[in-house]
Amino acid sequence: MDPIKLEVFKNKFISVAEEMGYCLSRTSFSPNIKERRDFSCALFDEQGRMVAQAAHIPVHLGSMPMSVKSVVEKIRMRQGDMVMLNDPFSGGTHLPDITLIAPVFTKDGQILAYVANRAHHADIGGISPGSMTLSSSLFQEGLIIPPVKFVRNGLVEDDLLQIILRNTRTPAERKGDLSAQISANLTGIKRFKELVESRGQVVVTNYMQHLNDYSERIMQEAISKIPDGDYSFLDYLDDDGFSTERIRLKVLLNITSDQAFLDFSGSSDQVFGSVNATPSITRSAVMYVFRCLIPESVPTNDGCMAPISIRTRCGSVLNPRNSAAVASGNVETSQRIVDVVLGALSMAMEERLPAASQGTMNNISIGGIDTTTGRSFSYYETIGGGTGASARADGEHAIHSHMTNTMNTPVEALEFSYPLRVQEYSIRRGSGGRGHHRGGNGVVRELKLLCDAQVTVLSERRVLRPYGLSGGEHGKCGMNTVIKNNQKTLMPGKFSTHLQSGDIIRIETPGGGSYGSDGVTLTE
Amino acid sequence: MKEEQITIPVFVSVDTGGTFTDFVCFRNGRFQVFKYPSSREDPSEAVLKGLEQIVPGCSLRVIHGSTVATNTLLERKGAKTAIITNKGFEDILEIGRQTRSRIYDLFYRRQNQLVDSKLRFGINCRIDSGGRRIEELDRRELTDIVKAIRAHGVDSVAVCLLFSFLDPSDEMLIEKAMENSGVEVSLSCDVLKEFREYERLSTTVIDAYVKPVMRRYLKGLSDALGEKMLSIMQSNGGRISVKAASRQPVRTILSGPAGGVVGALRTGVKAGFDKIISFDMGGTSTDVALIDGKLPLRTDSIIAGLPVQVPMIDIQTVGAGGGSIARFDEGGALTVGPQSAGAHPGPICYGKGCSEPTVTDANLLLGRLIPENFLGGAVPILKEPAERVFNNLARLWSMTRKELAEGICTVANSNMERAIRVVSVEKGHDPGDFTLVSFGGAGAMHAAFLAESLGIPRVLIPEHPGVLSAMGMLLSDVIMDYSLTVMQDFSLFSEEDLNSFYASLESRAIGDMRDEGFMNDQLLLERYADLRYKGQSYELIVPWSSDLAQGFHAAHQRAYGYCDREGEIEMVNVRLRAVAETDKPSLECCKIPQTKDPSEAVICERSCVFDGVTVATKLYRRSLLREGFELEGPAIIAEYSSTTVLPPGMILSVDSLRNMVIDCTGRR
Repeated sequence: MDPIKLEVFKNKFISVAEEMGYCLSRTSFSPNIKERRDFSCALFDEQGRMVAQAAHIPVHLGSMPMSVKSVVEKIRMRQGDMVMLNDPFSGGTHLPDITLIAPVFTKDGQILAYVANRAHHADIGGISPGSMTLSSSLFQEGLIIPPVKFVRNGLVEDDLLQIILRNTRTPAERKGDLSAQISANLTGIKRFKELVESRGQVVVTNYMQHLNDYSERIMQEAISKIPDGDYSFLDYLDDDGFSTERIRLKVLLNITSDQAFLDFSGSSDQVFGSVNATPSITRSAVMYVFRCLIPESVPTNDGCMAPISIRTRCGSVLNPRNSAAVASGNVETSQRIVDVVLGALSMAMEERLPAASQGTMNNISIGGIDTTTGRSFSYYETIGGGTGASARADGEHAIHSHMTNTMNTPVEALEFSYPLRVQEYSIRRGSGGRGHHRGGNGVVRELKLLCDAQVTVLSERRVLRPYGLSGGEHGKCGMNTVIKNNQKTLMPGKFSTHLQSGDIIRIETPGGGSYGSDGVTLTE
Repeated sequence: MKEEQITIPVFVSVDTGGTFTDFVCFRNGRFQVFKYPSSREDPSEAVLKGLEQIVPGCSLRVIHGSTVATNTLLERKGAKTAIITNKGFEDILEIGRQTRSRIYDLFYRRQNQLVDSKLRFGINCRIDSGGRRIEELDRRELTDIVKAIRAHGVDSVAVCLLFSFLDPSDEMLIEKAMENSGVEVSLSCDVLKEFREYERLSTTVIDAYVKPVMRRYLKGLSDALGEKMLSIMQSNGGRISVKAASRQPVRTILSGPAGGVVGALRTGVKAGFDKIISFDMGGTSTDVALIDGKLPLRTDSIIAGLPVQVPMIDIQTVGAGGGSIARFDEGGALTVGPQSAGAHPGPICYGKGCSEPTVTDANLLLGRLIPENFLGGAVPILKEPAERVFNNLARLWSMTRKELAEGICTVANSNMERAIRVVSVEKGHDPGDFTLVSFGGAGAMHAAFLAESLGIPRVLIPEHPGVLSAMGMLLSDVIMDYSLTVMQDFSLFSEEDLNSFYASLESRAIGDMRDEGFMNDQLLLERYADLRYKGQSYELIVPWSSDLAQGFHAAHQRAYGYCDREGEIEMVNVRLRAVAETDKPSLECCKIPQTKDPSEAVICERSCVFDGVTVATKLYRRSLLREGFELEGPAIIAEYSSTTVLPPGMILSVDSLRNMVIDCTGRR
């Protein structure tokens, strides 16, 4: 292995994934993919091991390889085929995320590699617009697509396409986005073939292996810097939206030399509501945390995960049985898994890790009929909060943390498009934990309805606070309030309700935990 | 002689850079080029000293690209600035788009805020999205805010109210209240009449933040030169008067790089190529722009972590340059950058304390950089310390010094290749359809290798590649941009509506251009519209035509590969670009002489390393290369501000404009 070629191929393989990503965002239709960049593209070797990934959203990190593996094992692909899936129980995450996988063949008909991309579709059917809902079964969340051939011998399976389009509220947008996903894979195939032609098949195949070994070495090095031992950490989700019972997430982390083992089997049994998370989400969250311990320039691939093993218990909230509701597992539970893994690591090396960040994405959707235009509307977004402080510095205010990084909707854009008026959008002062280094503050976002609408909020950390570290204070909980005729009603973390024109919904998001006790407070 | 000096002005452009201030002077049909060391404390010192070198008594026309606004922003050394906005929205600038630019950074923090949280004032007043007033401005509150601003000793205020582009009266009331307070004011309705409050506020705050500094700087220069003699380069590729630049300094924030793109475009077009990738490799970073026949503009640039929404030339910056440091990482790969030795201490061979290998050192050890030629010998180059460091490091990794040096260049090229792919693929282009125009000090040492691996058929190296940005400024026109958010279904607009929108922009443009000394008949007024399909959250800028909808469908097809002819179109902004052509030097073609034989330009022969082999390589002096000459690589072409490397087997020819053109389609 040559250190120069290794770096050159690192660039070349990442370039393939990046170019797929630019193709996807350029040719996609929906704002969610084009502007919020809720997608990922990746290159895999002939056995389905990920070589390089262009990711904008961490929650896709570890889950794409599981989709590809399940397809490589189950389906025999031929030249010109592409397989589609969104089934959370076949390596997917939640139904809106559709994955498309294509093989790259050699001239003599052998599979040399795979390319794949995953994009979040704004609607895939189910009981409510946007497919993000207070559900209690997978079947309420939308159309389930097991791994099936969507493209056969270069031609789209039109029957399948028609079924998909009939099952979504926004067929034209879906069609545009799906063809962008096909173009992205075609771009990847073309670029990879060019690479093989200019560098030779053997060299390219070897360096796919070398690059996985490279990431593995770097991850081993990072793990070996963590003191050996067993560390355990426990935190809870507030509830599943149906009962008030806390949901336990527990990890036992074992570090031995350059290997890590994470056992989540002590977590709660699967629940009725939609915070169940499939194993691919746990894998993504774990991979995110460990990925943060190595330099940004290292390619994200299966090598990163080679020194890390994960166990989840079948029937638990992190490994639910088939057909459990999972819509919020991707957005809310994934954040709490990060909290517990970071918490366990901080037992080993407190000074190198931050306290808990807001630990939620504060999903809000508002839908109804705009009375001035007579058209239906559907608004969805997620709201940032405070991040955790560390031994180095304070946390940051009003920003997305960990598993998500999507943009807000500008106030003026929102008011142009929806019958809503923003009354306040500010930093929620005093919400970050106080301490030697203070936690970041959350956000206040207050919306006034200008016509009747259904409001759904999926949020966490409304009951249990984001933890501080090293004696630092916890961050403040978030709060959801409905104001009707100046009458305030405190709402739970997860709810769906019908509100009237003139009513106000006020979301205050959690602050981050602080680091170290506040010297001033102690001496008082 | 004296008479001629008075009647024919001498055109001079001055481009301030980190290390050198570049001058291009056009007189009697000839270009004169020189560099003067930049003065860090007060950049105008170098500008004025350099101008003194031009024969006194001439009537000068100076075009200046300054880094004052950029550096003020980058170093956070601007005015003490306050914000006035609607109550409840005081933190908009800090929240931004709520995203982080590095997703795997557990300790992510935003860059320092330009405006302290104590200096963000909210006032009760509100316009809605239909332009209707739903809350009157509270005048008593305003009086208190003005008092507080004065008490805090604020220098400059940015005012940005929601939907002020639909009704600017509240912003104007605030400006009136600030009158006679001695505080500079920037109104968002003056700076940018477009929606998206964070981007508009950020643009307005940057304007307010750099304004006092920029005014002082420009006043100093125009006092010394005479205001009429001086114009300032803007980031949109055009120039404006000192007066206009002082009024809205945010428009000058990236003037140097914009000059480079103008220079690359003008040179390329004159040579017969209008699809160009400009490649400006400097010490710490490399600027790349994709030019498809005209200046590439964008309205969503990010400078120093903050959005700037006024139209700017679309330039991508890559963190790789001559000073980029090479290291072996923990996984055993040879990486180059993003750490850089910069200009201080610079590469090892500068002998100023750098002990890690850089790209420049690698070029030196490969024989590709000629020490006695480096900036005309102004900077002494030490080979021995570089050799020592390379020897030691190479031994550790069981390779030879030359393998290491060539590896560093290969990796640096591969980083830049990835960046250029992004720039082209992002816009749906294939780099193979373009010409690489290489300039800046280090570019031409790498350009041919880079073009070869990208499938780019040719490299063009203009005359005086080290000062192309200054050259571009000399060749620029006066350009002003205007826009207004209208946000409505396109089908609802009548022809009169549209005409009245454009008429309002045009009357502003005509007034501003009159101040610049141009009459109506000298102006080119280009109308554009920002359009999108309903439901989309991004818009495309489409040139005005009688069938605008058709134009939009076609533009959408081109940009994104499909269009929806049935789709409803939303008109987001109307946009106007006013261009006034300036008197400027023309690039003259020369007659091609009979001979192709370049042997008269050979200075000597050197040993250079290519693909691991040391080969005898001819060293040419660029100033001796005549039009029509043809060279076969390996060769090195040395000139005052740059060095060109011609790999073995590639052919370089000199065209009638004295550009060097390298054919990269195959090696002999």
